[in-house]
Amino acid sequence: MPSSGGARGKTLMKPDSPPQPRDQAARIPQQDEHALVARALAGDRAAFGALVERYAGVIRRVARAVLGDPDDADDAAQDALLSALVKLQQYDPRRPFGPWLLRIVANAATDRRRRRKVRRAGPLDPGLVAGGTRPDTAAERRVLSERLRQALAELPERRRIAVVLFDVEGYSHAEIATVLGIPEGTVRSEVFHARRRLRVLLADWQEER
Amino acid sequence: MTYEPLPFDHRPDPVLGAALRRALDPGDHAAFVARVLARVDDARAAVGSWDAVLARWARVGVAAAGLIALGAGYLIGRAGATGGAVGAGGPSVAEALLAPRAQPPEVEVVLASVFER
Repeated sequence: MPSSGGARGKTLMKPDSPPQPRDQAARIPQQDEHALVARALAGDRAAFGALVERYAGVIRRVARAVLGDPDDADDAAQDALLSALVKLQQYDPRRPFGPWLLRIVANAATDRRRRRKVRRAGPLDPGLVAGGTRPDTAAERRVLSERLRQALAELPERRRIAVVLFDVEGYSHAEIATVLGIPEGTVRSEVFHARRRLRVLLADWQEER
Repeated sequence: MTYEPLPFDHRPDPVLGAALRRALDPGDHAAFVARVLARVDDARAAVGSWDAVLARWARVGVAAAGLIALGAGYLIGRAGATGGAVGAGGPSVAEALLAPRAQPPEVEVVLASVFER
């Protein structure tokens, strides 16, 4: 389960919007989750629906971080969820469900990316990186989002997943290590390098506020 | 005011997190959930059909393995019975060569030891 939030980030200013609430997945008690998995395994469609409902957000965001294209990401997310459904009997209920599911998602998105040979995004336009205007309006926010997506696309795949799971979804380093199958220290390093790149964009926006 | 997070901050960054969440937000959550659930039966059916195929092949495999085991058992038993009869009739080639004898070994035994190599 994602770790609890709490006061986060040593920032000197408030974010332009209050921190988003964690997904519902973050609030599912583990026992309930295991019960849902057991029911889904027994063929209970509603139980699987509840799991899909609760994890769809994080799954789609992780898939989009890997694939870029939203339609492609949704296809990968759907494949991953259905794959998880047929592999449910392999899930060890002594372990948290979220990282197990996200590992399937990350693998599905990575496989799809390799299969389709999605073009790697070109270098980030320097004009986009610096000198942005304040994201006061919805249009400006869309521009910032586009810049972030481009910057994210420049990062190595593992780094993207790590920073999204940590800063967006609130998973711990240990949980992300489980998802990615890498040591916890490597996760910390990946998050650090991803942040260093992405924060350049944010700093440019924020300094003008 | 500036945005100056610590580089090794071990906690999630709310500013970066919120911005990334907006950037990656796919929208239309309900439609996606409905789309996945619409495929659940297909996914289960596909697994069921694969299970059926594997089960069918498994039955054939078990039957074939049983027949092979029976055949092998019959042949081994028969060979054992034949070998036992020969062994009862006289010493084997190795025994004939190694055992000390008053008489020199017969020519057939020496030739047999050469052919056995």
